[in-house]
Amino acid sequence: MPLPASPIFTIHAHFSKKKKKKKKISQKIDSLEGGLLVCFVMDQDLVETEKRRKREINIDPGLQWSQWQLLDSILPTGGFAHSFGLEAAIQARLVSGPDDLQNFVIHLLENTGSLLLPFVYSATMNPTLDNCQKLDRILDATLSNEVGRKASVSQGSSLMRVAASVFTELPSLKSMRDVCIGSGVVSFHHAPVFGIICGLLGMDSGTSQRAYIFMTMRDVISAATRLNLVGPLGAAVLQHRVASVAESMVKKWMDRSVEDACQTAPLLDTIQGCHTYLFSRLFCS
Amino acid sequence: MLSGFTASPMAVALSPYSLGDSISVEFTIGDGCTAVLTTQSSTKVYKSLGSKCSEQVLEARIGSGALFVVIPDPVTCFSTARYSQKQVFRVVSDSSLVIVDWFTSGRHESGEKWDFELYRSSNCIFAEGNQPVFLDTVLLEQSSPVDIAERMHEYQVIAMVLIYGPKLKHVQDQVQENVKRLMSQQLQIPSTRLGCCAKTNSDNCLVRPAFIASCSAFGPKGMGVVVRVASTTTEAVYRFLHHQLAGMEPLLGVSPYS
Repeated sequence: MPLPASPIFTIHAHFSKKKKKKKKISQKIDSLEGGLLVCFVMDQDLVETEKRRKREINIDPGLQWSQWQLLDSILPTGGFAHSFGLEAAIQARLVSGPDDLQNFVIHLLENTGSLLLPFVYSATMNPTLDNCQKLDRILDATLSNEVGRKASVSQGSSLMRVAASVFTELPSLKSMRDVCIGSGVVSFHHAPVFGIICGLLGMDSGTSQRAYIFMTMRDVISAATRLNLVGPLGAAVLQHRVASVAESMVKKWMDRSVEDACQTAPLLDTIQGCHTYLFSRLFCS
Repeated sequence: MLSGFTASPMAVALSPYSLGDSISVEFTIGDGCTAVLTTQSSTKVYKSLGSKCSEQVLEARIGSGALFVVIPDPVTCFSTARYSQKQVFRVVSDSSLVIVDWFTSGRHESGEKWDFELYRSSNCIFAEGNQPVFLDTVLLEQSSPVDIAERMHEYQVIAMVLIYGPKLKHVQDQVQENVKRLMSQQLQIPSTRLGCCAKTNSDNCLVRPAFIASCSAFGPKGMGVVVRVASTTTEAVYRFLHHQLAGMEPLLGVSPYS
């Protein structure tokens, strides 16, 4: 008895929302037994996205866990004691609402990029004791604003202490810390310490610099919620809205040498220096 | 003990900068000597052509027990101007320094406010063995995503005063006390809630201080003090500088910015 004519099924799969022209691959599978002719039309983009995702996941998952922990606000480094000059700016009436806050955050991120990313970059590329001491000395002379300098040392020391205890697979962290404390000349400034930890963990310098800007943004927006400038949901919305500007700051200021470190917001520097004159304050800086 | 005292006012930057001028000056202040560097009027930087930048480099070595005082008028960059300056001071353990470095938004009376292309000013103090004591570079570039004018709000003048060394302890202490007193009166928690403030512009809570100053110690054993100022007028900064540096008169024979 002859087989009935095979029905042809065509399945179109459109998952990608990309605007570029889609290349369609058609594959006809001839089944010798069932005689079903099935055409698969798959989006080429989807195939490529899947391949890239699998590649990224396969690259050192252990590093991802450490990365997320390092950037998690729950890490007890005392970052939440600092407002980056926001509290002083509010009391000087430079920032009084959400629009002012957004501008403040953007100016702060640009200044962080121009002034501190070179230190993160150098420390990540060369996470050695010698470089740590050299960068610490230079940054101590660069952070002439006493309020900002003390905040940097306070956060950096905490981060070093926590990292030495948490990342026990990096014994050089603990030994570096012990040597520096013993010598008494190193202050443990935040940016180089962060860079060194990233470098020793195996993070690339692009990620460590991006992460530093992310942490600054996270902490200043958090300070804004505690200063009642914006609510928690508004803060989250603001953070996402500013993310693309933050990324452009990273791209503009990354991978520069420490000799080129500069400040781009002198008004912010002036106002942050006023923090100790505040009669009533919530934050350390 | 041999000691020398020379107060020699010198005028520099006699002509306005234009079209990529470059000036380089070197000073050596001998042990125990005093030198004062000033200007006849504000340094004007004309508009630039293309990407040419007017530059000034100053290097000074200050000897033991010597005092170097740099008290210029402000730099004024015209629309589209490009200006870069670098000042390096090499000191020993008992050198003293007073450096005033300031700039305005431009010809702000004519409406030119923060309209220049590039302003960069770098001030560095190195101790013996090339140890960095103070490293500061201010960079304002129009090409950045954030407008310069927006960054400055309505402030038209930015100034920095460095007071460093054992001869100037009394001046440092007085300045710190003065600035703290001045600013404590200006800074307060906004008295009304956010919503009310946004509605009326005439409310006191929205009036920003016309003059902001802060003072920080720097260097080994707090040997130096840096004062940073932002002001809506140039006159207010002249008055401030005259008042804060009045204590220098016994050392210089004249009061700066009088």
